[in-house]
Amino acid sequence: MRAGLLLALLAAAAPAAAHEAAPAARPAPAVAPALPEPGTYELPPITRVADARLLDEQGAPAPLLGLEPGQLAFVSFVYTHCADAGGCPLALATLQRLDRLVAADPALRGRVRLVTVSFDPARDTPEVMRALRERMRPAGDWRFRTAPDAPAIAPVLAAFGQDALPLVDASGRESGVLRHLLKVFLVDDAGAIRNIYSADFLSAELLAVDARTVLMDARHAAVEAP
Amino acid sequence: MPRRPASVRALPPAVRVAVALGLALPLALAAGAARADEPCQSPYLPKIVGQEDFLYVWTLGIEGLGDGSDKLVTVSVNPARPDYGKVVSSVSVGGRHEAHHGGFTDDRRQLWLGGLDTSEIFVFDVASDPARPKLVKRIGDFVEASGGAVGPHTHYPLPGRMLISALSNREGTGRTALVEYSNDGRHVRTTWMPEGAEYGYDVRVNANLNRMLTTSFTGRNNYMRPLPELMADAEAMKQFGNTVVLWDAHTRKPLQVFEVPGAPLEVRWALQPGHHYAFTTTALTARLWGFFRKDDGTFEAVDLAPIGDPAKTPLPVDISLSSDDRFLFVSTFNDGMVRVFDVSNPRAPRVVHEQQIGRQVNMVSQSWDGKRVYFTSSLLSQWDKTGEDDEQFLRAYDWDGRTLTPRFSIDFRAESLGRPHIMNFGSEAFYQGRVAAVAAGGAVGGE
Repeated sequence: MRAGLLLALLAAAAPAAAHEAAPAARPAPAVAPALPEPGTYELPPITRVADARLLDEQGAPAPLLGLEPGQLAFVSFVYTHCADAGGCPLALATLQRLDRLVAADPALRGRVRLVTVSFDPARDTPEVMRALRERMRPAGDWRFRTAPDAPAIAPVLAAFGQDALPLVDASGRESGVLRHLLKVFLVDDAGAIRNIYSADFLSAELLAVDARTVLMDARHAAVEAP
Repeated sequence: MPRRPASVRALPPAVRVAVALGLALPLALAAGAARADEPCQSPYLPKIVGQEDFLYVWTLGIEGLGDGSDKLVTVSVNPARPDYGKVVSSVSVGGRHEAHHGGFTDDRRQLWLGGLDTSEIFVFDVASDPARPKLVKRIGDFVEASGGAVGPHTHYPLPGRMLISALSNREGTGRTALVEYSNDGRHVRTTWMPEGAEYGYDVRVNANLNRMLTTSFTGRNNYMRPLPELMADAEAMKQFGNTVVLWDAHTRKPLQVFEVPGAPLEVRWALQPGHHYAFTTTALTARLWGFFRKDDGTFEAVDLAPIGDPAKTPLPVDISLSSDDRFLFVSTFNDGMVRVFDVSNPRAPRVVHEQQIGRQVNMVSQSWDGKRVYFTSSLLSQWDKTGEDDEQFLRAYDWDGRTLTPRFSIDFRAESLGRPHIMNFGSEAFYQGRVAAVAAGGAVGGE
């Protein structure tokens, strides 16, 4: 199976990606808003999603979320043929950085899961998702999911409100490009979406602060108590 | 208009990350994916950067005219269509709710339209058939679910939810709140305006800066009262907002309150990289204000210029900033004029064009490319002019950077429609997945 365009791009960028965990390797943003203190603000449930049965990188049935009490997940939907710099590559770069932050943080490690799901199952087979995993080299709990076919992933996309529209060319033929707005979803152990991030405000550090904020909720504290 | 070339340092975060990863930018930018980027509305909304096909006009019903109800009127605005300049559909919501503002959900599939009087919100599906939107939901719990906010005004899409600035409360005064709903129509949270800055009107987010600005108007007791009667009531005329609030957008916490006298209404963030400022205009005092980010990250409010002759109360009511941050269109209700400011130097705006649009004018919306500008006439059912001056129209113009050339006009009285208010752009290509609709600039919408 031919690897997707995104994988090829990421492979070409391997030296840069290898430094991704080092903050100094990133270009300084023109303006860096200060991060809020965890627990000083609210992230009320926006909507709820049910867990779903998908396929893991080995092609075996696996849950989308599979969260234990007191855990949460950052769910992102991508496709490996994506060539939009503000889309899947941005999401994966941010998630890779978040993965490193979580793995290095005792308060988050084991409680925060990353789930990356393809909305292009026809091309993103389990084998392709395995290649993506190998490229991302997770340091923590980062899972990769696809589906047997497009109808199998459609209800999951609908539940999350993730668009993915095949673009057609002037003659009506599919172009292979899937138009989508980049979104990353923070989901708690009750299936409540607690925040949704877009390309304009996607920062691994902020996601980590939000994770701490959700985990500091009384409900989760109770789960944690002996 | 072409977007200004940007240095890598000034690029938005998405592109900076791509640079860090060594991704092929020319390929990426040509790929045609819809990115969250926008001229006058939310940065989270995909844009129509080319020729729009439709204007969705939220229209107040007039008793005795047609069915007398508020309605969503869809107008063909693409010159390539045979029905150009004509009403192509109209959907009544039943009853008069003080139709006013509304906005798309972040996927641009639904258009939410609010009623300032009844606080009801009408949700239209604009994706299934963009020429014929369908009313698919009514949200009737706004007051109850929000804990007493009244008058849903700006409907501002955030990822997966709608941020709505209210105008009033159950008592009808100006103390009000920001109310959030999920895209499926469930209340998420209410954030009351801070003490000392209780009034509300517009809300706009600068996602890159993590900052949000809110402005202030007046409560239901005033906005549903006949204007001559209101203006004769000195006490009531004191009940208008004089504040603009800067917020931390992520935490919804107020950071700064600015004194901006005279009901600052619509607010717009500049759009170009490195342009860390916003504009508003004050209705009662007719001034143009700017909000500028300082080196320490805080903002300052600056009284920039008069709009017309403030002594004549021209009543600036709407503004539209071009996507290249060059032109700011300001419509003034009382004199029916539009004034175009060149805001290339945002601290020294200068009027470069003035033109009469009608006997009264309210909303002004321009296309992403800045070539087409649309106006509607109605402010509020109780504040519109009377007699012959109560013109009700949609007027379309071409803008060449110097003057506005009329293209078509629709008389909303003659068509038995009502009082046209806010306009939102529609596109057939966007929902059909045609690459041509999104390739230029990687965006697909806009007002």
